[in-house]
Amino acid sequence: MSEVLLEVRDLVVHFPTPDGVVKAVDGVSFTIERGRTLGVVGESGSGKSITFLTVMGLINRKSARVSGEVLFEGRNLLEATTEELRHIRGDRIGMIFQDPMTSMHPMYRVGDQISEAILAHRNVGKREAGARAVEALRQVGIPAPEQRARQYPHEYSGGMRQRAMIAMALVLDPDLLIADEPTTALDVTVQAQILEVIDELKQRLNIGVALISHSLATVADVSQDVMVMYAGRPVERGTRGEVFDAPLHPYTLGLLSSVPRVDVRVERLVPIEGSPPSLINVPPGCAFHPRCPYRFDPCDRDVPDLRDRGGGHDDACHLSAEAKAANRRERLDMQEPVT
Amino acid sequence: MSTDTRGGAAEPLVAVQDLVKRFPITRGIILQRQIGAVHAVEDLTLHIARGETLGLVGESGCGKSTTARLMARLVEPTAGSIRFDGEDITHLSGRAMQHVRRKVQIVFQDPYASLNPRQSVGQIIGAPLRIHGIEGDRRRQVQDLMEQTGLNPEHYNRYPHEFSGGQRQRIGIARALALRPSLIVCDEPVSALDVSIQAQIVSLLTDLQKEHDLTYLFISHDLGVVRHVSDRVAVMYLGRLVELADRDALYERPRHPYTAALISAVPQGTGANRRRIVLQGDVPSPANPPSGCPFHPRCPKARIISGDPAVVPENCATEMPSLTAVAPGHTAACWYPLVPGDDLIAAAEGMAPEVVEQAEEAATA
Repeated sequence: MSEVLLEVRDLVVHFPTPDGVVKAVDGVSFTIERGRTLGVVGESGSGKSITFLTVMGLINRKSARVSGEVLFEGRNLLEATTEELRHIRGDRIGMIFQDPMTSMHPMYRVGDQISEAILAHRNVGKREAGARAVEALRQVGIPAPEQRARQYPHEYSGGMRQRAMIAMALVLDPDLLIADEPTTALDVTVQAQILEVIDELKQRLNIGVALISHSLATVADVSQDVMVMYAGRPVERGTRGEVFDAPLHPYTLGLLSSVPRVDVRVERLVPIEGSPPSLINVPPGCAFHPRCPYRFDPCDRDVPDLRDRGGGHDDACHLSAEAKAANRRERLDMQEPVT
Repeated sequence: MSTDTRGGAAEPLVAVQDLVKRFPITRGIILQRQIGAVHAVEDLTLHIARGETLGLVGESGCGKSTTARLMARLVEPTAGSIRFDGEDITHLSGRAMQHVRRKVQIVFQDPYASLNPRQSVGQIIGAPLRIHGIEGDRRRQVQDLMEQTGLNPEHYNRYPHEFSGGQRQRIGIARALALRPSLIVCDEPVSALDVSIQAQIVSLLTDLQKEHDLTYLFISHDLGVVRHVSDRVAVMYLGRLVELADRDALYERPRHPYTAALISAVPQGTGANRRRIVLQGDVPSPANPPSGCPFHPRCPKARIISGDPAVVPENCATEMPSLTAVAPGHTAACWYPLVPGDDLIAAAEGMAPEVVEQAEEAATA
């Protein structure tokens, strides 16, 4: 059952600039298994998007220094040629982006844009490709797909455009779907639909999914595994239950206690002080230490390793297990409903 | 937070009555003919009591930002009236309006676009003081405002690009506070900010409210934030107010099917298998709203009443329900308000996307 689709080891992506080196991704490792969704959470500048753009071979290697390994079906994609990558992208790995309007060509019919992907990768005729495109639109729940395939993107609503993007990403039966903030640009009721479609297709097609989001809650509802990133590094990694019900890292704890909830009202939010660091001047030691209410002696000197704290639940923090448990009780108690 | 004005004894700070705003859609360059209108706000009636926070939620295109601009008189209403502090300000102009503007300020969504990049922070925050001719040591007043909003007063001469998103939003809040207003309209004040910064700004706004006795109209599509800051919450759909209630009543016992679906749709992080009311279809265009109740093409409750996913009751499709009291202090605009036991999840699941599309087309034809 646990077939590893993608394994990323020690991925580093640095961009040299005249002002200094931007350490966008600075040592990221994770795996994605078939039939599971990995939720990747982080704020802007945490490196979550760059990580997956690198996996897809979509960053300009001339302007970036990349090291580490991206193993997909046993091959290191960082060493693959452009030709090989073109073969894998779209065919084996599908990707959808945040803004469905700018991800589509406004002057081509939606059906033709989906067919184009099929024609580029499969040896089929135009008629056959067109029929498959219609079928793909049907799969993602677009009503009257025959007519809809002949329409242009501007004739679609935001939610339907994102459905069409998912259809485009999945039309060649890839093993892995990378969804970068797929619901951020959409309204709440439509977000729920799109998450449902992704989850349903993941189960039906038995693929692996990477769901990238700035919202912990979005990720939590549909992911089995969760990775929290901060300043280019993962700070916590585990199953959904582990990360949400027993968070270890102070940053995860901070995110959980600073986001207001709809199901209960809390007396006072506990904001995380300060702002995310510049990736050119990442603080020494643990990058989170200037904002961490629990920092102590080694935090500003030693970079904490991401280590297993039992049962595959990893975090990168110098605090002891007892201290983390105490912090968790203290912080999450404040989240109890107001009576 | 809220003073005791809900019973209606004291006069509310703001009261809008039957407010309508339609934006014309024209065709032609020289001879412009109106070929339609975007129904941004329709028949909006509500009040905001002194010292309270009224939350306003809804999806894009529901008219919440137009409502904000109407209340600050930044756009002219097509019909209806706005009373502020007991005075009808619907058609005020010139000096009289300038006096009102001191009392009503706005905090905007985008802290990048709402600050002039070529003015220093001191100039930006001091601008309202200058425009309204406030006497005194301006530098000191501005630095005082900076301190209150958590900015370093030494950064008086810096420019917006030198600040992070959260700090820029603090600058916008300091500017709104400068004239000591009684009402601040917060139009999505935290939506553009990073998650860890949102809580800082929300906490700042609630602290300032206590200190300065402010009244807020707090507009957001984030239902969690609205629940946290508001005393009462209003829900809009396609330009119309569909439900208004005290915060906890609205979140715990919503009576309008749209409110229930909206709350249910918010990811809560409580589990992979939480069942949600997943509405079919998208919000229809406000240029061509459905007949009757604007929500009827997507409404699961209407299907419970009719017993058939393809059919809605006659009055839902033909007549707009008026906002009526369903409990003390709780109003909803629905022919069939929710009652305990309504299984909206199952009803929504029974609605195929095709059915919703047909219903929408039939309703807008």
